[in-house]
Amino acid sequence: MSTKGTKIPERLQIPFAGITPAPTQEKGQDLFPTGNWRSIRPVYRDKLPPCNNACGTNEKIQGYLDLVKRGKYLDAYALIKEDMPFPSVTGRVCYHPCEQACNRGKYDEAISIRAVERFLGDLGQALPHDVVKAGKPNGKKVAVVGSGPAGHSAAYQLARMGYKVTILEKSPKAGGLNRGGIPDWVLPQDVLDREIERLVELGITIKTGVEVGKDVTWDDLKKNYDAVVLAVGLTEPNSVRAEGENKDGVHYGLPFLRDIGMGTSKVKLGARVAVIGGGNTAIDCAREALRQGAVEVTMITVEAHPQEMPASPEDLHDMLEEGVELMHGRAMTAVVGNGKVEALQLHPARFSGAINASPITVNKEAAPERFHVDNVIIAVGQRASLGWLPEEFKSERGTIKIDRFGRLGNTNFFAAGDIVQLGSGQPLMVVNAVGDGKRVAFNLDKVLRGESLEPRTIPIDVIFDLNRMNMTYFPHFPRVPQEMLPPTSRRKTQQEVIQAFTEEQAVEEAGRCFSCGTCNACDNCYLVCPEPCIARPSRSNGLYKILVDYCKGCRVCIEECPTGCLEGVPELDFDTGVVRMDTAFAISPGLHGRQAEELRNLGDRAAKNI
Amino acid sequence: MATATATKKKVRINGCVASAQAAKYADVDVIAAYPIRPYTATMMALAQMVANGELDAEYIVADSEHSQLSIAHGAASSGARVFTGSSGVGVQFAYELYSPISGSRMPVQMMIADRTLDPPGDFGSEHTDALSTRDMGWLMGWSCDAQEAFDNHLMAYRIGEDPRVLLPQMVCQDGFFVSHITGDVELPDSGQVKEFLPPYKHPYPLDPRHPVSHGPQIMPEQGPPLQLERARAMEESVAVIEEVHEEFAKIFGRRYDPWLEEFMTDDAEVVFFLQGAHAVTARFAIQHMREKGLKVGLVRLRTIRPYPTDRVKEVLSKFKVVGVIETNMGLGSVSSGGSLYAEVCAALYESAQRPLVLSFMAGMGGEAIVLKEFYWMTEKMLEVQKRGKIEKRTHWVGFEE
Repeated sequence: MSTKGTKIPERLQIPFAGITPAPTQEKGQDLFPTGNWRSIRPVYRDKLPPCNNACGTNEKIQGYLDLVKRGKYLDAYALIKEDMPFPSVTGRVCYHPCEQACNRGKYDEAISIRAVERFLGDLGQALPHDVVKAGKPNGKKVAVVGSGPAGHSAAYQLARMGYKVTILEKSPKAGGLNRGGIPDWVLPQDVLDREIERLVELGITIKTGVEVGKDVTWDDLKKNYDAVVLAVGLTEPNSVRAEGENKDGVHYGLPFLRDIGMGTSKVKLGARVAVIGGGNTAIDCAREALRQGAVEVTMITVEAHPQEMPASPEDLHDMLEEGVELMHGRAMTAVVGNGKVEALQLHPARFSGAINASPITVNKEAAPERFHVDNVIIAVGQRASLGWLPEEFKSERGTIKIDRFGRLGNTNFFAAGDIVQLGSGQPLMVVNAVGDGKRVAFNLDKVLRGESLEPRTIPIDVIFDLNRMNMTYFPHFPRVPQEMLPPTSRRKTQQEVIQAFTEEQAVEEAGRCFSCGTCNACDNCYLVCPEPCIARPSRSNGLYKILVDYCKGCRVCIEECPTGCLEGVPELDFDTGVVRMDTAFAISPGLHGRQAEELRNLGDRAAKNI
Repeated sequence: MATATATKKKVRINGCVASAQAAKYADVDVIAAYPIRPYTATMMALAQMVANGELDAEYIVADSEHSQLSIAHGAASSGARVFTGSSGVGVQFAYELYSPISGSRMPVQMMIADRTLDPPGDFGSEHTDALSTRDMGWLMGWSCDAQEAFDNHLMAYRIGEDPRVLLPQMVCQDGFFVSHITGDVELPDSGQVKEFLPPYKHPYPLDPRHPVSHGPQIMPEQGPPLQLERARAMEESVAVIEEVHEEFAKIFGRRYDPWLEEFMTDDAEVVFFLQGAHAVTARFAIQHMREKGLKVGLVRLRTIRPYPTDRVKEVLSKFKVVGVIETNMGLGSVSSGGSLYAEVCAALYESAQRPLVLSFMAGMGGEAIVLKEFYWMTEKMLEVQKRGKIEKRTHWVGFEE
């Protein structure tokens, strides 16, 4: 009898045949520490999804798509509101660089992010009270000059931080470019009105009909406020310097749209209308012209091809659907007519260098063309009106001169939006102005609190390579299309052209998100871990925990992570949670005995109590 | 006692069918099968029983013996009474599973109908197939006829499933000599069997209502206690084996010595020591030689794991010469013959009166050991007795003068 007289010390009393209580969600398994086998440790390292990175205001797009996917719409709305004051607006008008950056676009079709944003924005519009609240008052007053996207955004963020904000708006109605630059059939006025109301709810004072340089001076601003954000935008339309531009029937893009938007337009268009320019405003003007009674609208561009036009391809497509004609490679050199425009004189032309950023070369040698029109709308960009600004803050580009933090020298004046970005290379788009306003608001806050402004130095890891994710988890699935009014009926109405997602559509579309590089609590690691040594106290992003006493470093979780947020990091890089050979043999004396006790007590307890 | 109302019946069946009948009487839950002759006849019989509705069990045909034993392991882990079986190289192919099954203390039962290992293909019986797994923690013993096979199966379940033991069992019979030779078998009343063999209950089965982990990884320090506990179970089975044989005799009326069968040993001076079917021929040969006045007897090993060391020592010490008939290959082993010799000698080593021990390589490849070969072996033993010492330790029977 070889076993006679043997005794197993308590510390080594192992449960019967090594059978152990089941691992728990909180603790994983609590026996047999095998962590010292590991040479690679899985670590959750969230990367920046390319959509968040591309967004002008760095909306947490992956985050809110994930929340929508799970039906947590209000949480999603609150998340989007951190960076974007008016998702109902950008959900309609944004040029969505996020969708261009979307990794899914390389796989099948990009996520329809803007449509989901609009779904959330409209949800926010319907709330009796917004989820966002003003910050605790800090007793400081800030004036924001201009209520367009940049001013709106800056005022919103400042109010959230506790500033007493006053918006000064030159026009009779607040909204700036959102109101004056975007037609109703893209952004209905009541949607914008509701977003302006939200600013008032935050305690922001909006003074309309107040023009800087006329009604208030630089010195007034300096004296009456602790700080000022200048977001006055570009108000003056560029001319093409053609002969006869002063004739009746010649209009300029932004004022044309603005007057319609403000309800002060007296424009009556004839049957044939030409639009000069190839950008987004020109497209809006062409489509608006149809709605203002024009029968034939022709868009005349210097760009030689539609692909060269600095415009959103979808808007271009929708415009062509509505019947607008394109005429490329020409510049308007004169407006012909007896007091009133009757025809345009056109010459072949091209950009001398980069599209839209270089002087235009017009071939005057060629025979001029005559193009009969009743009206012409010139939409070739805007410029600033900065007569009121001290000379020292004027740049050569005709913008406000700022430092990298949006600050005017050492003053408490900051500037944001198109008024600083014109010619900077950043597209003059709503979302970029919103981001500008947001960043300037945070910088302003730092300055007023006496903190120094430091440029961001943390490297950003953005996933662009699909191989960093596990694509086997993503079946191909088409993008959910947004319904649109039929082209024939919409060209005569101010009704919104693009229709909203239903709840089902929003959830389906959000469900297509890869969650690039970011944990979305899919549970895959938790399920595939053979040990199991991934603890999950609750099913939530960022709450998984690797139990390093037990993780053998088998890499299964890393390989099977759909989003690529799990990385294998060499164990030698760590000095915490390390189970080295010298400690492995007696990692915690008595552990086994405790387990044996637990097993004996299993009895008939219900599974949930074990 | 259920015996009072027992309705027994006598049938004429072979060893394979007797094993299948035993599984049916044991009311097994899962049958893991994969064909290989001669065991195939057992799985065929069981398939028929399940198909006929005589036996309510999951009948799983695996894709190999390795899967077959894996299925048996898994099924036993979930708390099922499992029956499986194999022969020859099939036993070998499942080798990986033998230690895990005993290590996780799953009382799987495996029927072995011995078959010679390759090469080349040979259907005949040789014990090497099962004997090669003898140290894997399985209870193991040989039957010498169909009735004993039936009885051993029932007893093995009862022993293996005893909470003091919880070990798997190999219930072995010689291929063809037992598996395919028809004999009279008394089938008991099923009520008797129920009384003898209560339903199987593993203490911690895999059960979603009470989740536990089976077979987790361990640290080196945790290996020895688990091995020690497996060794304890094997040793504690000794008492259980004796109790169970006693109870079996009471209920069914057939009494077996759990360890050694002695035949005409009372005044014997030389004895054969063997296990399995050749005992049947040996008994006749001994009777014939007794008629000529030769003091020869037989000791048959019934249980080889756990090995009855003290009994072997005590019993064999009474004789002058022991002739071990191997029926297995132990190439390059202690005797350069089979493996039984070494264990007999080891058991006798501490005896004050050690007999001389010979090893006979007989019955290899499933060849019958005929009467005259028993006479020849007896002569060899008597020569040694006369000479008082061993000149040639191992004899290849049929190949020497």
